[in-house]
Amino acid sequence: MTRLLSVQDLSVCYESRGGTVTALDGVNLEVSENELVGVVGESGCGKSTLALALIGLLPTPPALVSQGVIEFKGTDLVHLGPKAMRDFRGTQIAMIFQEPLSSLNPVYKVGDQIAEAIQIKRQRENGHGPVNSDIMQKVHKSVPPDGSKLPRSKRKISGELREKAIASLKLVRIPDPDQVVDRYPFELSGGMRQRVMIAMALSQEPALLIADEPTTALDVTTQAQVLKLMKELMDKVNTSVLLITHDLAVACQVADRIAVMYAGDVVETANVFDLFSKPLHPYTQGLLSCLPTGSKNKVDLKPILGNVPDLRTRMIGCKYVSRCPYVMKTCSEKKPRLEGLEKHEVACYLYGEKNGNHPTNS
Amino acid sequence: METILQTVDLRKYFPIQRANPFSKVKKFVRAVDGVSITIWKGTTLAVVGESGCGKTTLARTIALLTKATSGDVVFNGKSIVNGKTDPKQVYRDMQIVFQDPDSSLDPNINVGDTVGEPLYGLMGWSKDAIAVAIQRGLTAVGLSGDMADRLPRELSGGQKQRVAIARAIGLQPKLVILDEPTSALDASVQAQILRLLLDLQKEFILSYLLITHNIAVAEYLSDFMAVMYSGEVVEYGETSEIMAKPRHPYTITLISSAPIANPWKRNLLQAEIRGEVPSAIDPPSGCKFHPRCPYADTICSTENPKLREISTGHFVACHFVEKTA
Repeated sequence: MTRLLSVQDLSVCYESRGGTVTALDGVNLEVSENELVGVVGESGCGKSTLALALIGLLPTPPALVSQGVIEFKGTDLVHLGPKAMRDFRGTQIAMIFQEPLSSLNPVYKVGDQIAEAIQIKRQRENGHGPVNSDIMQKVHKSVPPDGSKLPRSKRKISGELREKAIASLKLVRIPDPDQVVDRYPFELSGGMRQRVMIAMALSQEPALLIADEPTTALDVTTQAQVLKLMKELMDKVNTSVLLITHDLAVACQVADRIAVMYAGDVVETANVFDLFSKPLHPYTQGLLSCLPTGSKNKVDLKPILGNVPDLRTRMIGCKYVSRCPYVMKTCSEKKPRLEGLEKHEVACYLYGEKNGNHPTNS
Repeated sequence: METILQTVDLRKYFPIQRANPFSKVKKFVRAVDGVSITIWKGTTLAVVGESGCGKTTLARTIALLTKATSGDVVFNGKSIVNGKTDPKQVYRDMQIVFQDPDSSLDPNINVGDTVGEPLYGLMGWSKDAIAVAIQRGLTAVGLSGDMADRLPRELSGGQKQRVAIARAIGLQPKLVILDEPTSALDASVQAQILRLLLDLQKEFILSYLLITHNIAVAEYLSDFMAVMYSGEVVEYGETSEIMAKPRHPYTITLISSAPIANPWKRNLLQAEIRGEVPSAIDPPSGCKFHPRCPYADTICSTENPKLREISTGHFVACHFVEKTA
C-alpha cells in the first residue's frame, strides 16, 4: 500500500489565559491509500485537534502549530499558505463533523448545498479558484427563467446539477432522493443529515476523508447504517478514512488500523487485530479492560485509576506516568518515542529503549 | 423475590400544539404507551432503546417528575401516582441520578451541601448527623472527605457524577433510578462509575432502574432487561437470556447494531437494518416496528401484538415470534 498521509512530530498548542495548553505533543501517524485508520482516545486527548490540523482549520490564534510536518501526497501542509491549502481542503481532504445540523447551512436546501460542492470542484478543475460569493448564485442560475422570481424556498435547482445532486443522494442510500433534494436540513432526520454530509464530502472524490465522531450524535441502529455505508463507499470512491472516535468498539468494528492517543501523544498504533489480541501500551491495556463486554457475573471491569494530566503543565516524560502500574525511573525523565515495526508501534519503555528487544521485532 | 416497584399499564401522552387553534383533532405524542414492568428487590432492571422511545419519560413518570396520563405505579406496596402518596415520602426511598451532572448539580452549592441537602429537606436530620453522613457518603463513592468544600466546577466529570450518586444514596433509598449515568463520561471513567454502582448495590442492597441506550452498559449492570420501541416494551426478560437469544425482531436489530469491542466479531458490517425510528406523533398502525420488520405480514399492520410469555420470565410482543427462534 502506498503512503498517503504522514504526520511527523506534530505539535499544536493553544494559548490561553491559564497558560499554554499542549494539545498535540509530537504526534506521528501514517495513513496509506484506501485504509481506514481509527484514532481513539478520551476527551481532551487531542484527537479533534489532530483532525483540524490536518485539514488546516485550526483557529490560529489561539492555536499554533509549533513544530512538525504533515506530508500529504508529498506536499507539506503545515507550511502551505491559506490560499494553497484551499486547493486541498474539500477536494483532496474532506471532513465530516459530529453534529450535521451545525455543519449544514440551515437556509439552503440540501440539493443546493450538494450542487455547490459539485460546482466548486468543477471550477477548481477548470483552473479557477473558488469565488465564494458567486457560487450560490451560479447554483441558482440553473433555475429556469420563469421561476427566478419565486422566493428562494420555492425555487428548485434543475438540469444537470440537480441530476448530479440526486445521484449523490442515491449513492448514500437516501430514500426518495428526488424529493429529499428539495428539502431543508431541518426536515431530515439525524442519520439522513449525516448521510448528506457524506454525500457532499464524497462528491469531491477526496483522497482522504476525515470523520470526526461522525456517529456520536446518532442512535445505534442509525450508527450501524452510517458506518456500513462509509466503509462501502470508501472502496467505491477509493478514499482513505481517518475515523476519529472516543468509542473503541466503533473503531474496532470498522478500522483496519487503530492509533491510540493519550494526552496529546499517539501511544500505540497497530493493526486492529494485533491491538486487541496483544495491546502493548499500559494505557491501551487499561482502556481495553475498561470496556464492559459482558455481564457483571463474567466480566471484571478494571478501571484505570487516577485522572488525565493537566495539559497546561509541561511534562518531560511519559504522560501516563501517574496512572501506570509499571512505572519506572526513566518514565518521568524522558519521553518514550513511538517505536517498533511498521505494523505495531508503541511509545513505552517497557519494550526497550531502542528497537533491540522490542517484542514486535522478534 | 420481593418486588420493589411495579408499573401497571402506565401511559404518558404529551398533547401537541395544534397548527389550527380551532381544530377539534387533538394529537398526542405517546411517549409511554402502556408499560408494565416489575423491579425485584436488590436487582437491576435496564430499560434500553433508542432516543425517542420513551425510556426517559418512563423514568420521569416513575420518579413523579411528570404526571402519568393513566396507569399506576406501585412502589414499596403503595400506589404513588397522581398525588396518592406524599412525594416527600416517596423520595425518601427513591432517588434519581441524571445523565449530565453539570445540570443536575447546583453550581453555587458546594459538594457537602449538595450531598447533605436531601437529609435535611426530606429527613430533617440535625446538622451534626448530616455532617457525619456527608463524610460517609463521600467515602462510599470514593471521594475524599475534604472534597466537601469544593464547588462542582472544580471537579472532573467523573467526580461530579460521584457526587450525584453520593447525594442519591445518602438517604439509603430502596430504589435508585439511573438515567444514562455514564453517557457523558469517557470509557475509563465509565468503568469506574459502573464498578462503583455495583459495589454500592451490594453494600446497601439497592435496586436500580437503569435507563440507557448503551447495550454494553445494560448487559454489564443489569439482571433484567426491558427493550422499548416507540413507547412500548417489546421484549422483557432476564438480561443473559435476551442478550443470548433475542426474540423480538427489533431487539435482534438493536443488539446486532451495537458495536462490540471485538474485531473478530464484526457484527456491525453484517447487520441488516432497514428504515429509521418512526415519528412519535403518527406512529405506524398495528405493531409499530412493522415497516422495518423483515417478518412483517398483513396482521402486523392492523393489530398491535401483546406481550406474551414464550418461556419462563421471557416476554415478547410479536405476532411471529416463532420465526425468530
